[in-house]
Amino acid sequence: MSLVRKSSATGSWQVRSGSLAAGSWLDRLAWTALSLTVLIVLWAIAAAIAQNRHGPGPLAVFQVMAGEAASGALWVHLSATLARVLASFVIAMLIGSAIGLALGRNKLADKFFDAWLVLFLNLPALVIIALSYVWLGPWETTAITAVAINKIPNAAVQMREGARNLSRDLDEMALVYRFGWWKTLRYVTLPQLGPFFAAAARSGLALVWKIVLVVEALGGHSKGVGHQIFTAFQSFDVAVILAYALAFIAVIQFVEFGALQPMQARLNRWKR
Amino acid sequence: MPRAINSRDDAAALQVDVQSKTFAAVAGRVAHTVLRNVSLAVAPKSFVVITGPSGCGKSTLLNIVAGLDRDYEGQIRFSAADPRVSFIFQTPRLLPWCTVEQNIALPLADGDPRRANIPELLARVGLSGAETAYPERLSLGMQRRVAIARGFVLEPDILLMDEPFVSLDDPTAHALRTLVVELWQRHRATVLFVTHDRTESVRLATRIVRMAALTDGLASNIVSDTAVALTEAQRADPVAVRAELARVFDAA
Repeated sequence: MSLVRKSSATGSWQVRSGSLAAGSWLDRLAWTALSLTVLIVLWAIAAAIAQNRHGPGPLAVFQVMAGEAASGALWVHLSATLARVLASFVIAMLIGSAIGLALGRNKLADKFFDAWLVLFLNLPALVIIALSYVWLGPWETTAITAVAINKIPNAAVQMREGARNLSRDLDEMALVYRFGWWKTLRYVTLPQLGPFFAAAARSGLALVWKIVLVVEALGGHSKGVGHQIFTAFQSFDVAVILAYALAFIAVIQFVEFGALQPMQARLNRWKR
Repeated sequence: MPRAINSRDDAAALQVDVQSKTFAAVAGRVAHTVLRNVSLAVAPKSFVVITGPSGCGKSTLLNIVAGLDRDYEGQIRFSAADPRVSFIFQTPRLLPWCTVEQNIALPLADGDPRRANIPELLARVGLSGAETAYPERLSLGMQRRVAIARGFVLEPDILLMDEPFVSLDDPTAHALRTLVVELWQRHRATVLFVTHDRTESVRLATRIVRMAALTDGLASNIVSDTAVALTEAQRADPVAVRAELARVFDAA
């Protein structure tokens, strides 16, 4: 099975570019499936050799997962976590992008706020979470705020890089041809920021969901993957921990594969 | 000083008066004045070529006229109340994420009737069939054609060009020069064209303005201002071009 050749059907230039990311998603899917299968086999072998109560094999974990799915608990907790992830992700991307753009375009603001940005970048997630709950109380908004604050500095740094790289040549062109602010934003500025936004979004999603789990565990929320994992941790129930973790990884990969990567490919379709 | 004669002209389409233009000191370079007392009245529908050594401030002058550089002392006046200005830059400056057709259409508003002229314009610049191509898939020569089409789609009153044919091979540059003259004759814009290529200037111009710094390191101004007395047929004739070159450039 030569999946690499698949991409040549859509245009010979894709093959010449030699990049797997160019559009051969079928190829990547095949490789992902292969590598995950090998991982599961290795895991099964390791579990069979160890024969330890705290080291369940893949079958035991998938049985737990199926049980949780059948009882409906899996969906309740997954959807609660996913909702928090999406809310804090959207808020963090919006605020982080706005800050990043402002700093990238205004040198004085950048000089002044750079130190703040470094401080927030290095502030441990745990500190932000603890202080958020102390100051804001045990509410849903606290969870979302705490997670968003963790991601905002990263998004800001990436978007600042994008804003710094905006082409003055194209700005001048838009000015001479009187594009006006809307056309300039839509056709000149945003397309240049697209790749930076896509990169910030992909790394952001990965960061946000991990922090959401910590927040759910520490914040005393009754629903969410983090809460389930924390409960299972107290009774050392490794199968439940793994079942929920794997289920949520699958959800995040689905978003990545189904939404973020196609978005990035669409943004880059003009590239040679 | 010959330029004093026509430095004020009420009939001019464009009146340039730059008393001085100074670049501030940045990154280890001291502040320096590139232009001083540059006055130029450009007659309507003329094709004025500004030429001079690199670094003499030709492009700076063009940026000032275009309104891209507002940090100067002086005044730029247009006879039209709200002139349509096009600028064909040294690099094509196309939007790589927009197709050829989108790039050409962008200076026009959505309902602009001039959008209907785009297919004809595309044919005229030799881009029929490339409407939906993205600029990065085109050769530099083709990209410049797109930039030229974008420059003309507005039917501009004033057309500014800053060495639009550099880094092209000779035949391509020649073809584009012919194209620009053709379009200019059809639309009759007032053209301000910057180049350091003397032969190019003689082939294109109705008038050649030479800029130079009289002393090294000092600000430039206009050192000669000559009407070109060639017919269209003579512009294609190397002998006539050579004679005119000598007349324009060796007299001063």
